[in-house]
Amino acid sequence: MDLVEKDRNKAKKLLLLAALTGKTMLRNGAETYRVEDTIERICKSRLGIKYADAFVTPTGIFVSLEYKDEMLSYLIRIKSIKIDLNKIDLVNEFSREFVNSNTPIDKGLEKLRAINNIQGYNKSTKNLFGALACSFFALLFGGSFSDFISTYLVSLAVLFTISKISQYKMTFFINNIIGASIASILSILTVNIGIGHNMDTIIIGSIMSLVPGVPITNALRDTISGDFISGLSRGMEAVFSALAIAFGVGIVLNIYYRGLLQ
Amino acid sequence: MNVLKLFLFSYLSTIGFAVLFGIPKNSIIKSGFVGAFGWIAFYFTSKYLDSNIVGTFFASIVVGILGELFARHFKKPATVYIIPGIVPLVPGAGMYYTMLALVRKDFLLAANKGTETFFIAAAISIGIIISTSLSRSINRVKNKT
Repeated sequence: MDLVEKDRNKAKKLLLLAALTGKTMLRNGAETYRVEDTIERICKSRLGIKYADAFVTPTGIFVSLEYKDEMLSYLIRIKSIKIDLNKIDLVNEFSREFVNSNTPIDKGLEKLRAINNIQGYNKSTKNLFGALACSFFALLFGGSFSDFISTYLVSLAVLFTISKISQYKMTFFINNIIGASIASILSILTVNIGIGHNMDTIIIGSIMSLVPGVPITNALRDTISGDFISGLSRGMEAVFSALAIAFGVGIVLNIYYRGLLQ
Repeated sequence: MNVLKLFLFSYLSTIGFAVLFGIPKNSIIKSGFVGAFGWIAFYFTSKYLDSNIVGTFFASIVVGILGELFARHFKKPATVYIIPGIVPLVPGAGMYYTMLALVRKDFLLAANKGTETFFIAAAISIGIIISTSLSRSINRVKNKT
């Protein structure tokens, strides 16, 4: 009797491990099909489990598995997605290792927790590099050296503001509107002071850090693999962040061309 | 000389985006090449075929294929290389010019630029679809034999 109970607990833990692995991957920006695939592989790797299935959307994970004529299931709600490619890679490696070896489940849970606690680059490094990316992008668009400098300053300010206000957990829509309007106000300012020359280039460069590149890419990759719900919801995210950026820039430009910001 | 300059700028730009997205430390250098080759492909195709949409299409195919190749060779998920490479192609400029035209009440130009922006986004998607499904079917064939 004791042995049966122990085995059942093991199955429960395996389910928990699979669900948490999926959560870590999804929260750091992995594609849906990869998350589903990983969860199923982990579930089927131990205890002779024949049936395990996962349904993943960008806002939640549902897993269920059959163990000795009993159905176990688990549900996780995902609230925020940020992008951390390093963690996707680490979890990917972890799951491959877990499936192909005989690591005990408890040890797997510990390892997963360790991965979750890894701190990537700190915020200011990320912001500095992001600003560098934007300013080189401005050069690609035919900016001069003074445009390069002013794009760097403007996008640095934008990125720092975004990382400050994201602590208050407003939606991505508000974040993008604020970021885009700050980018355009500061660009107008730098041109008026005389640091920058070409306002268009500076604004285009500094909104590049807000542009929804990841949702566009992931939405399409989800849709091709047949996850239409995930594809649609990520596509909506992409469309609405683009709209927010356009609104933010548009409001400021509208005021500027009415002559109120000289 | 010009091409070399473009290569360097797009390389550094891609690296910046890669760090912003928290790429693994040993992939920073490699991810830059994906974006740089993508941008060079964009530059030549958009120049000789005289269309930003076609240019973006070919560039995203290049980024997708290079990303999948790098992913297979260095044993990382393909997203790690594709995401930083694709960001410079996203039509931020198109969005800006559309809004600028709207603000100036030049609705014809706004419709023009807006359509172009939309089709550039579509071109990115189609390019990625083609390269991803290509690499997956190659995988499937390889696994069978």
